[in-house]
Amino acid sequence: MSRSRSGVVAAALAVALAVSAGCTAGESVDVDGAGPGGSGAGGVLQAAISGEPDQLDPHKTSAYHSFQVLENVYDTLVEPDENLEMRPSLATKWTTSDDQLTWTFTLRDGVRFADGAPLTAEDVVYSYQRIITGKLNAAYRFATVKSVTAPDPATVVVALTAPTPNLLANLGGFKGVAIVQRGNVESGAITTKPVGSGPFAVAAYTSGDSITLVRNENWWGGTPKLDGVTFTFVKDPTVALQNLRGGQVHWTDNLPPQQVPALRDGDELTVESAPSSDYWYVALNQARKPYDEVAVRRAIGFALDREAITKAAKFGLATVNQTAIPKASAFHYDYAPYSHDPEQARRLLGEAGVRGLTMDLMVTSEYPETVTAAQVIAAQLKDVGVTVKIRTLDFAQWLDEQAKGNFDAFLLGWLGNIDPDEFYYAQHHSAGTFNFHKYRNPTVDRLLDQARTETDQGTRKQRYDQAAKQIVDDASYLYLYNPDVVQGWTGKVSGYRVRADRAIRFRDVSLAR
Amino acid sequence: MARFVVRRLLQSGIVLLGVTLVVFLLLQLVPGDPVRVALGTRFDPQTYEALRARAGLDQPLLQQYLSYVGRALTGDLGVSFRSGQPVTTIVLDRLPATLSLAGTAILLAVLLAVPLGVLAAVRSGTAVDHAVRVFSQFGVSVPDFWMGIMGILLFAGVLGWLPPSGYVGLTEDPARWASHVLLPAATVGLVSASILTRFIRSAVLEALAEDYVRTAEAKGLRPRVVVLRHVLRNALIPVVTVVAVQVASLLGGVIVIEVLFAWPGVGRLTYDAVQARDYPVLQGAILLVAALFLLVNLLVDLLYARLDPRITAR
Repeated sequence: MSRSRSGVVAAALAVALAVSAGCTAGESVDVDGAGPGGSGAGGVLQAAISGEPDQLDPHKTSAYHSFQVLENVYDTLVEPDENLEMRPSLATKWTTSDDQLTWTFTLRDGVRFADGAPLTAEDVVYSYQRIITGKLNAAYRFATVKSVTAPDPATVVVALTAPTPNLLANLGGFKGVAIVQRGNVESGAITTKPVGSGPFAVAAYTSGDSITLVRNENWWGGTPKLDGVTFTFVKDPTVALQNLRGGQVHWTDNLPPQQVPALRDGDELTVESAPSSDYWYVALNQARKPYDEVAVRRAIGFALDREAITKAAKFGLATVNQTAIPKASAFHYDYAPYSHDPEQARRLLGEAGVRGLTMDLMVTSEYPETVTAAQVIAAQLKDVGVTVKIRTLDFAQWLDEQAKGNFDAFLLGWLGNIDPDEFYYAQHHSAGTFNFHKYRNPTVDRLLDQARTETDQGTRKQRYDQAAKQIVDDASYLYLYNPDVVQGWTGKVSGYRVRADRAIRFRDVSLAR
Repeated sequence: MARFVVRRLLQSGIVLLGVTLVVFLLLQLVPGDPVRVALGTRFDPQTYEALRARAGLDQPLLQQYLSYVGRALTGDLGVSFRSGQPVTTIVLDRLPATLSLAGTAILLAVLLAVPLGVLAAVRSGTAVDHAVRVFSQFGVSVPDFWMGIMGILLFAGVLGWLPPSGYVGLTEDPARWASHVLLPAATVGLVSASILTRFIRSAVLEALAEDYVRTAEAKGLRPRVVVLRHVLRNALIPVVTVVAVQVASLLGGVIVIEVLFAWPGVGRLTYDAVQARDYPVLQGAILLVAALFLLVNLLVDLLYARLDPRITAR
């Protein structure tokens, strides 16, 4: 950049900053009602996310874009730390009865909602009851919960029908089980102006454009350094990157994957990644011939070159795997029987008497990486005599076809897992709600049922290892990779950490002026 | 004139009713279940049925349609499946952004196309004419999203003169609004200008061959006066129609451009509603666009009457 041009840019930036600073001060005064915000504080972080929340009611939304924002607005009873271990949040401690059927949580002292009202055990009971009786999205996390009661304002008692070792993960794994405020729900304001107890509060929501958060002065965890955070919705990654380069945006998770290696090496921006707990996989429809035969599914497992798929679909920003749970987790099971072996694949197909197979592979434009991966897979399967017909649908149609079982094979990911139960039960138990590929194995059913209620961690791990091995041997899913979480920010941002569960937390972030 | 307007308004009402019916029927044919999209990938059958009932999707089709029209007549277009907000509010909230983008784009297009079109016609067959025709060919054949990205890379990336995306309300801060609107409006305007230039060129060429031009030239008027006073005025009548069609289609929201530039208009709303199968929002947005289209057409007819008094007589 030449000297004169940088002068112009600097001047333009100075004007822009002056203008935006003016706006910011005005906004925070509006919201706090002439509170002390503003002077000498940490500025407003501009974050670009790739899409708009559908709504801001944490119990009703299922969109990741909503949780990106709500992570900073709501609290849960417990929450995952950077290693995804459950840590105190609204509850400071908990005890379990000898029979493992009663959990007693002690709430933190003096927690207030952003509007100043105290948060008590009644709010926790109300929130959980709402999810359970309203059959809301997270209801399945309360499957073993018999009752939730509040013997006093600082105590919550959860009674269970069966031991539930993953109860903490269920109550804190994501913001869909956040503690909400009754009045906020009953007035209906929660969908656009939610009131939480988290580090920031929603100040303004401009549909189609942005959501503005301001610091919650009442936050129990101390005062966040930032004055606030503005999330803007920028769909195109090239445009998001330009915004980041130009300084209009300080942080984004919407970077063009093919440019990430170069951006990492450059010193202009900070681009960091962490292996995620998501996994991507191919599922074969076991209600259809010949995919009901394990030999055929295994053959396809041997035909896949996972390194090549990962390179093409993720530009290497992923770790290949053959089981669901990534290496970083304590529940990882080291097992990878499917080497890239076309010879073996052809032999297995021959033994199963399958010749000239044409496979319909369903992918969705919602996740472009599935489209790219499918093309590579098609080439690899051609090598063993399987013709792949790729069917690219938009996500609404995709979900429809999946539910109807209208596919030979599909390619998708399972996102945001913490407890092993979340990696396996819904997908591979014969009664699982996500078992659209109709996998049935009584041994796996039994192992998953037992592991669900097993309180001894060692035994629990053992059961999941056995289940994982069986699932891989049966080729219920053909696992491809765990993708990396990739996020980038400018030199002004400090204190930010990329997390494996994709939770975006700005509570400890500060912004240089 | 008043009777003419009333008759046209009545016709418009019937057309709008037809639009609601066609859109409603078409949406039944679109694959993809809105309830399933709203619930995402993790759901159980009870939740599914509950949400379906809440959205009224378990009712017979005819009843769904009749109750929709009934409520629409009172201005109630239902609530969004996704957010639960009233559709009327959602759609009207997005209108200013689209209006300001469309307005700027068409202004840029006209400012560019009129001089270029006239110049090409007057200098027909010369290098200037060819250059203009290459320009307009370029504008109609190059995809607008590609032009948009190139614009962003050049003006936001390399030169750093304009912000790459985003929106500020015109009434909030006119200067910042202008800096944000310039790139998307220029992108859209360039495409419109290319189309307009062709029409203006041929309309002017046609008018140049008319008898009154020869008369005017014979009177000894200067060429500039002939073109501006006689040719342009007559050539503008068909051009007005083309401009109106452009305006109307821009009011529907330039979907790709609004998505690319993160512009919170009706186009982007439509895009998101399609993705989410948010039928009430989609119906509302289409109804609004249809209404605007009819309004623009009515205004064009009135403008015609002003430009050419012979039309009122019909």
